[in-house]
Amino acid sequence: MRYLLRRLGHAIFLLIGVSILAFLFTTLAPGNYFDEMRLNPRIAPETVAALRAQYQLDRPLPLRYASWVNSVLHGEMGFSFAYNSPVAPLLLSRARNTLLLTVTATLLAWGIALPLGVWSADRLGRLPDAILSWGTAVLLVIPDLALALGLLVLAVRTGWFPTGGMTSVDFETLSPVNKFRDLALHMTLPVAALVLSALPLLIRHVRAAVADVLDAPFLLAAQGHGIPKHRLLYRYALPAAANPLISLFGFSIGALLSGSLLIEVVMSWPGIGPLLLEAILARDFYVVIGGVVFSTLFLVSGNFLADKLLYWTDPLIRTESSGG
Amino acid sequence: MQPLLRTENLVKRYARKKLAGQREELLALDGVSFSICRGTTLAVVGESGSGKSTLAFCLACLERPTSGSIWLEDKDIVKLAEKQLRLVRPKIQLIFQDPANSLNPRWSVLEILSEPMILQNRANQNEIRQRTHTLLEKVGLSSEMGEKSPGELSGGQRQRLAIARALALEPELLILDEALSALDCSVQAQIANLLMELQSSLGMAYVFITHDLAMAAHLADEIAVMNHGRIVEQGPVERVLRQPQHETTLQLLAATPRLPRTTLPALEQ
Amino acid sequence: MNRRSSLAKWLVVLGVLHGVVACAGFFAPYDPTAQDRKSPYLPPMRVHLVDTQGHFHMRPFVYSPRLREGTFDQYEDDSMEPHPVTFFPSGASYRLLGFLPCRRHFFGADNARIYLLGTDAYGRDQFSRFLLGGQVSLLAGLLGAGLTLLIGLGIGAAAGYYGGWRDSLLMRLAELFLALPWLYLLFALRAFLPLAVSPLQAFFLVIAVIGIVGWARPARLVRGVVLSAKERDYVRAARGFGASPGYLLRHHILPETYSVLLTQAAILIPQYVLAEMTLSFLGLGVPEPVPTWGNLLASLQHYSVLVSYWWMYLPALLMVPFFLGYLGLASSLQAREEAYKIEGWSPGSLT
Repeated sequence: MRYLLRRLGHAIFLLIGVSILAFLFTTLAPGNYFDEMRLNPRIAPETVAALRAQYQLDRPLPLRYASWVNSVLHGEMGFSFAYNSPVAPLLLSRARNTLLLTVTATLLAWGIALPLGVWSADRLGRLPDAILSWGTAVLLVIPDLALALGLLVLAVRTGWFPTGGMTSVDFETLSPVNKFRDLALHMTLPVAALVLSALPLLIRHVRAAVADVLDAPFLLAAQGHGIPKHRLLYRYALPAAANPLISLFGFSIGALLSGSLLIEVVMSWPGIGPLLLEAILARDFYVVIGGVVFSTLFLVSGNFLADKLLYWTDPLIRTESSGG
Repeated sequence: MQPLLRTENLVKRYARKKLAGQREELLALDGVSFSICRGTTLAVVGESGSGKSTLAFCLACLERPTSGSIWLEDKDIVKLAEKQLRLVRPKIQLIFQDPANSLNPRWSVLEILSEPMILQNRANQNEIRQRTHTLLEKVGLSSEMGEKSPGELSGGQRQRLAIARALALEPELLILDEALSALDCSVQAQIANLLMELQSSLGMAYVFITHDLAMAAHLADEIAVMNHGRIVEQGPVERVLRQPQHETTLQLLAATPRLPRTTLPALEQ
Repeated sequence: MNRRSSLAKWLVVLGVLHGVVACAGFFAPYDPTAQDRKSPYLPPMRVHLVDTQGHFHMRPFVYSPRLREGTFDQYEDDSMEPHPVTFFPSGASYRLLGFLPCRRHFFGADNARIYLLGTDAYGRDQFSRFLLGGQVSLLAGLLGAGLTLLIGLGIGAAAGYYGGWRDSLLMRLAELFLALPWLYLLFALRAFLPLAVSPLQAFFLVIAVIGIVGWARPARLVRGVVLSAKERDYVRAARGFGASPGYLLRHHILPETYSVLLTQAAILIPQYVLAEMTLSFLGLGVPEPVPTWGNLLASLQHYSVLVSYWWMYLPALLMVPFFLGYLGLASSLQAREEAYKIEGWSPGSLT
């Protein structure tokens, strides 16, 4: 338990640190965006004055950061100049969509990588393993951008999948079953792009980790006891490889989040990605910081989840922490 | 006669931070005092963890003691700044236990031997070359091995090379930190004899650190027994071994298989 | 497979590919910024040996495209006039390797334009743009990786050698940089730098941003190597001869890091090329009219292009051999190191 509390504290430290880092980056911005904002005809002068008072926009960095933290605690996370609204509601709706994409892709990618990796490790060096290695090499070698665009081209040529957006125009009029179908169809391309980009790496590492474990004497002994192959692989070998695999899991979340940023933009999926890009081009700083912190939140949560899994599966860590 | 080196109440504390945030202190040396005269050998014996290596590093100025003094002739070298210490360093040299670790595997024999002279700006290229040949001869290595790397040498040859390197700056005190422990038995005897020859021809003093009481008995004039960072018994070799006073000495003697002087000639090949 | 020969093989492959790109001005038939407003979105031209009458020609040739009757963007071949492919023709001037003025190109067509990959919206030759875009993207990847490794080496060595609070501080900083998904960090840093800059400024800005973002992983690896190298007895022995920290680092400790750095370079370069591509694709990198692999693909963001001009995707496939080369190089380097760390890498991905 103390171990988990420590990891939680660590996660909070990371979030705070990243937000400070992001704020530090804003000092790079040339000129005063506050001036830019004043020149913007869409924003009324009263709004400008109110913002100035609330967010200390023309004060030094520490004060600005403090007022931002204050607004986070009030559930606002700063103010978007482009959308003329607090940042939090903007981000939350987008975050939900990003999560939908990323979680689905993670589950699917691991759902494929684990069995394939284990299967491959079992037949190490033989033909099926070699074929899989070549297959993953091919996927590894295609840049993510090219992969996403390639899928789009395919979708357009075949017309099987919608090429953008999250839902069709008439989504609201559909029955629940059709709504689900519509969503699933729209999700197929982005999820496929994410999964295909993450899959080769995952398969390779699962294969390596399991292959390492398969060398261990205790498995040979278990095999000698006549335990069937399937049980051997999944009830004995896989748990022993849990430690590096769970670290890999935490790592894969970061990779998939980065991937989803690009894929959301390319495939017009309404997640944090397109919002972030827009905000950068419009110099909407609080949205940028909010998006960055949110993505870190996901990554850190994912890693914390991985830590929790590790705690449950690895008895060494449990005894270490209970002993102090 | 004034001793070459005298230590006074050496204390060395290590602070270690545990994962949970507590501070743990390790007392490696707890008030060590002794002296050593020119041309003599002091053996420091004790079990692992008694502080022997810490003592070796402090004497060789590779660690600074937490408190205490080390008098080299008239100067307290503990108090010296690095710049002045640099001038003193040639006088005290250290031979490490494992020559595989103490010689850079990527360097050639020549480069390894030249290093101390280059660092101390002793001589130019030619003189350095000459000197390396002389050094190789002194320790019984052929000057043709100049281009070889340590990986191509045997354990005994490597330790000879380490000794040659330590001799490059003409030290007055040589600290041997378990210098024979990593070698095969027969090789141990050869190197031990080499060390004795060098001592008589060059007049160096030795601090011979070991857990092997028999070797200490063979090579040393004086012996100091260490336990938990303290010297618990000290004196001429004969007396300490024939009339041990302290419990630790007794334990060490009990654990040593061949001690009686009558069997020692077997060591002399 | 002999490891040394495997490494050499991949180095040769990469050398040839980079050589072609380095001499892009020569291998590209046309100036990548030269527009041909009368021929937008031309499909790739086929090189024929047999003409429509069934005659075999000794020299390969192409047909000029002609607008089909009644359409405004459909082309057909003008099969009346075969235009032979010419070799080493004189064409638009360029600077070979950046400084040698030249006019010779590797190939062209007699009395016509040969567009191997078709043209874009402004009638610019995609093949030429691919080759010259490669110069920008690959160079950005190389320089960015160099910068990252330099920073990582410095910080990792300092953390490993000095230890103590410096080590803790630097490693905490590294953790912060690793806590952000990589692309988000890249975007955040890019976000706050000026957007409307000249292509040259943008190029260096991109290199700086990419280089700064990725230092944490190499730094941790270097730190590990330095920590273990620091404890070697030969380092202690050198100190015993009066060596300064600078000497120790330069002569004993840092040489241990070179193989790690080399492997990291093979892993980072393709990642950074992809990073530059991503930035340019989204309009945050090197702007038009300078071609990069990123803005080469940028037109594919438009639905109309995807539907009607799918061949604009072809340059993406031509990039694959480069990434393959780096994958092979990194694999053989890692096989030499015999360490499989889950620090994770993939040449074509954003991890």
